[in-house]
Amino acid sequence: MAPSQAAYAPSLDKLVKSLKGNNLEQSIEALIFLLKRRQVQGDDCAIATAHILLQVVARSKWRDVDQLLGRIQNAGARLARAAPNEPVIGNIVRRVLGLIRDEASEERNADDLGSETASEIQSLAPSNPPPQAPQRPPPVPLMNRSSTMATGLPVSKSMFNLLSVANSDTPMTGASTPLSQAQGASVHSLRSEVIDGIEEIMDEIQQADDQIAGFADIQIHPGEFILAYQPTKTVERFLIKAASKRKFTVLIASIEPPHPGAADAPYAALRKKLNSHGVTTISLASNGLMAYIPRVNKVVFGAKAVYQNGGLLVDSGACIAAEAARDFLKPVIVLSPIYKFCPEDPSDESVVGELGNPSTFVGYDSGPQVDELEVENTVTDYIPPALVDVYITNLGPQTRHHFASILADHYKVEDIGYSLHDGEI
Amino acid sequence: MSKQAGKGGAAGKGKKPTKPGADDKREDSLQAVIIADYFQDRFKPFTQDTPRCLLPLVNTPAIDYTLEYLASNGVNDVFIYCGAHSEAIETYIEESSRWRPGSPISPFQTLEFIRVSDATSVGDFLRDLDKRSLISGDFVLVHGDLVSNIPLDPIITKHRARREANRDACMTVVLRSVGEEPHRAAKARGITPVFHIDAKDSRILQYEETHPLQSDRNVLVDIALFKHSSVEQRADLIDCGIDICTPDVLALWSESFDYELPRKNFLHGVLKDWELNGKLIYSEIVEEGYGARASNLQMYDCISKDILGRWTFPFVPTSNLMHDQTYRRKGNSDLENNVLVNGGSQVIRSVIGSSTTVESGSTITKSVIGRRCKIGKNVKIENSYIFDDTVIGDGTTVIHSIIAGSVVIGENCHVPEGSLISYSVQIDSGIQLPAKPTVRLAIKDDNGDDVDNDVSLVGPGGKGANYQALVDEDESEDEDEEGDRDPTVILNSLVYSREGFNLSTESLSTLASDSEYDSDEDEEHGGYLHPGDGARERLSSFTSDDAGKSDAFHSDAVNGLVDALRSDDNDDFDGAKLEFMGLRLANNASDNSMRRAIAIAFVKRASELLNPEHGALEPTKAAEKALTAKKGALKFIREVGVGGEDVKQQSEFALAVQKGLVGIKGLETGRAGTLLAAMLQQLYNLDVLEEDGILAWWVDKRADEGESMTKVKEKCRVLVEWLENADEEESSEDEDSD
Repeated sequence: MAPSQAAYAPSLDKLVKSLKGNNLEQSIEALIFLLKRRQVQGDDCAIATAHILLQVVARSKWRDVDQLLGRIQNAGARLARAAPNEPVIGNIVRRVLGLIRDEASEERNADDLGSETASEIQSLAPSNPPPQAPQRPPPVPLMNRSSTMATGLPVSKSMFNLLSVANSDTPMTGASTPLSQAQGASVHSLRSEVIDGIEEIMDEIQQADDQIAGFADIQIHPGEFILAYQPTKTVERFLIKAASKRKFTVLIASIEPPHPGAADAPYAALRKKLNSHGVTTISLASNGLMAYIPRVNKVVFGAKAVYQNGGLLVDSGACIAAEAARDFLKPVIVLSPIYKFCPEDPSDESVVGELGNPSTFVGYDSGPQVDELEVENTVTDYIPPALVDVYITNLGPQTRHHFASILADHYKVEDIGYSLHDGEI
Repeated sequence: MSKQAGKGGAAGKGKKPTKPGADDKREDSLQAVIIADYFQDRFKPFTQDTPRCLLPLVNTPAIDYTLEYLASNGVNDVFIYCGAHSEAIETYIEESSRWRPGSPISPFQTLEFIRVSDATSVGDFLRDLDKRSLISGDFVLVHGDLVSNIPLDPIITKHRARREANRDACMTVVLRSVGEEPHRAAKARGITPVFHIDAKDSRILQYEETHPLQSDRNVLVDIALFKHSSVEQRADLIDCGIDICTPDVLALWSESFDYELPRKNFLHGVLKDWELNGKLIYSEIVEEGYGARASNLQMYDCISKDILGRWTFPFVPTSNLMHDQTYRRKGNSDLENNVLVNGGSQVIRSVIGSSTTVESGSTITKSVIGRRCKIGKNVKIENSYIFDDTVIGDGTTVIHSIIAGSVVIGENCHVPEGSLISYSVQIDSGIQLPAKPTVRLAIKDDNGDDVDNDVSLVGPGGKGANYQALVDEDESEDEDEEGDRDPTVILNSLVYSREGFNLSTESLSTLASDSEYDSDEDEEHGGYLHPGDGARERLSSFTSDDAGKSDAFHSDAVNGLVDALRSDDNDDFDGAKLEFMGLRLANNASDNSMRRAIAIAFVKRASELLNPEHGALEPTKAAEKALTAKKGALKFIREVGVGGEDVKQQSEFALAVQKGLVGIKGLETGRAGTLLAAMLQQLYNLDVLEEDGILAWWVDKRADEGESMTKVKEKCRVLVEWLENADEEESSEDEDSD
């Protein structure tokens, strides 16, 4: 293999490597176009977003918390707009926003406890509130609502806080006013705290699949027939983990390869690993899977995103598997890390499904078909909540009745209302 | 001669410090060259003010697709060559936040414009590039109207592997197969490229072009192809215009100063001469992905449809590749923000730009509408492309047409299939544009002057007239008439139609058998010998330009040699020889045509000497003088003219001499025969020809073709008999001496 492999096409790995050398704007734009060109998609979006937001915190100039929040919201909105079909990006942005709010309030509490008087005097000085006004645009009515909700949260015990909320006529923002004092040393410490926090989120993203796989042996029992619809990495790991402890049979359903015999049979690597553990695998074409459903004990697939109503965004075709399972009363198990849980309802577009390249089904070389057929290849499906039985997260199995508390644990109320798609540039 | 816009270079410097290790990576950076001018006017009148690569292709300028494609393949340095409208392209790039050189968000390290003021063809660009030594390694050569999503990495990997195996593998051409049954893309190409490809290693062996208007759609296949064990002849390929090149390619361009087009001239020529240059060109036939060039209006139509059908994914409107785009899918169409579609209107599989309003009762089907357009009530638009800021009045129907920006079309008009309406044209209410011939409306002519409004076409309140190309006014008038064999007729119109063209559907290729091939060559090089032989008809249009080249070689070479033989002041023949060899290399003349040229030159000289003004010499003397007057001439004949000791070569030369004598005007057959005998005898005496060669010629059937040939030949009977006897004597002497 003397000739070198040409690898010029940009990718997430290259972007991550070049983050240090590039300036911030360059990195953000690079990711935006990777997303637009679908060179980063699916599970990579989450980690990519975290990388970029880390850079925003570490390298952009900000003097106080509001400014930092504004920067994150701005960068986040741009990323989310670049890939409207990847709700995970919005989740990560919200997580980071929430993280900043937490760190800021902790810091302020520490301040307040240490030098309550000083801060009170300082903050009563009239020059302090105005500088923050131009730093963010006038909040939309929705955000006013959330900010009042924010004050309902036990964020601060300071006397001044109550006063400022009551008295200030400057527009309210998600972070309450005194945070603007977080300057100098505290900016520095906040920066490092937030960076640590984002790194924790990245760790969480990376470990989620393993954690989910940890629940495999509880869900899969010996001798069962498991239907895995287009197994994602999460599902693969889940099955392999189960295979190391149990003997069962896996039916792998997938869209047929467009060119027969073009490449390896789909999921060859997965099948090899499963076989090495003594698990039998059967490959199905997705249009034939209905016939096997009566034989199957459980249907497993991974989700691209889970909405707050319990609905799922999945790779196309999974909906057929879920419907079929429903008809035969077979349990449907969805694997989804917590970071894919969206505090929002599905948009109209995601319910309709994203359209991909028709060449998956009709080759461009198939002559008259290209002229005469309108081929719509939906690459995503929406699965209504009623079809799903169990969600397995990295925090354990859940049902949709507990979503409200999960979402409340992970996202701040004031960030939920922030619509990423309509944000300013 | 040429001047380089230096901005790019400065920008590159400004950016390097931000990229540590950029110098190390430098060696492994990918370079690309975009050709953004085509020296064609297929898009006229749209391209009067706007270059082709800035014409919107589904509301995004074509060059954005190209640049984005390069960016998605990790190209580092981009060089853009523009000719006409170079300012427009430069301004566009300068104002784009993403592509602007030095912009922090540009995906390219450098983006340079290179202007060549006196370029008249793509070939001039590439020869200029060769001089600049900007290219350090393999580079990607694309055109500014390319739309593609074919990943380049695997292709470059293969290209490198081939280059490392053989240094002469200098170019990889990316081709997309479109299947055997032609569909719109295959039809829209206009010119059908025919590639002959070695099936085993996908080397391109021969390249030809054919188009439906050719009188004869046969392709002459080079006999040398059959040395390869398996050869595919493919006409089902779309040429994406993506070439992976090594710098050697540029050197090849420089060597051939008259090549203009990258395919018809360069690829065809280099493959034809591969024995001379030794360069190998490979093809990469991709079965997946999309790649095509908006090279004519039909391709524009076709690519727009493909983008609407998302074949070009991810380069589709909803990806919002440009910063200010806000396309989202609504129903089965892609609409931008602030598009107002009133109740009762239908938008079906279309794309509409922002701030456009569609009044009630209108139907828009499979069309593209730009920004800020106003579509009236009860309007019907089908398969059409409408650029920005255009107003279409109530009740108007537009079918399969292109309407450029700022056009105003009144109420209750009818724009029939194939109409082209350029920028700022205004059409009064109630006008029915003629369907045949289709209109091509513009408000300016090629000189930029306003045209007189054609009231019969655009109405009393309208603005604009039918556009006439400056150069071929006659042609454009009888566009639909029969007998016009120019493929541009098809290429220039939006709607593909063979109506009115007399097209044959016979099979595409003919194998050139040995004799056919030879007779073709006879035709090309000594065409005046057999007027009306019929072989010429077999030559299709692309070989005829080649024939023209050989004719040029022939006459140049003969004249040069005769001049040298005539000159009194110079006894040396070396200069003429050098000139001859130079001509031969420049035209890549075959051995046969050289032999002919030399024979005819000497014959001409000898026959001149028979004339009174040159001394009216006896044939024997004339032959001797022609052959021996100049030093080195004999050696020249021996080495170059005859080319060897081989009997076959010698007889060929004798045949050439004979043909040359027959062809000379004003020389009566009898004298020609005498001169031939004298020439052959001289050549024999001077050890240029041997008796075996002459005897082989004597029995060669070709020497008897035609009456005059036989007559001339008869005169040599004495010589031949004498030779035969001498031979016998010699052999008997040999026997004796033994």
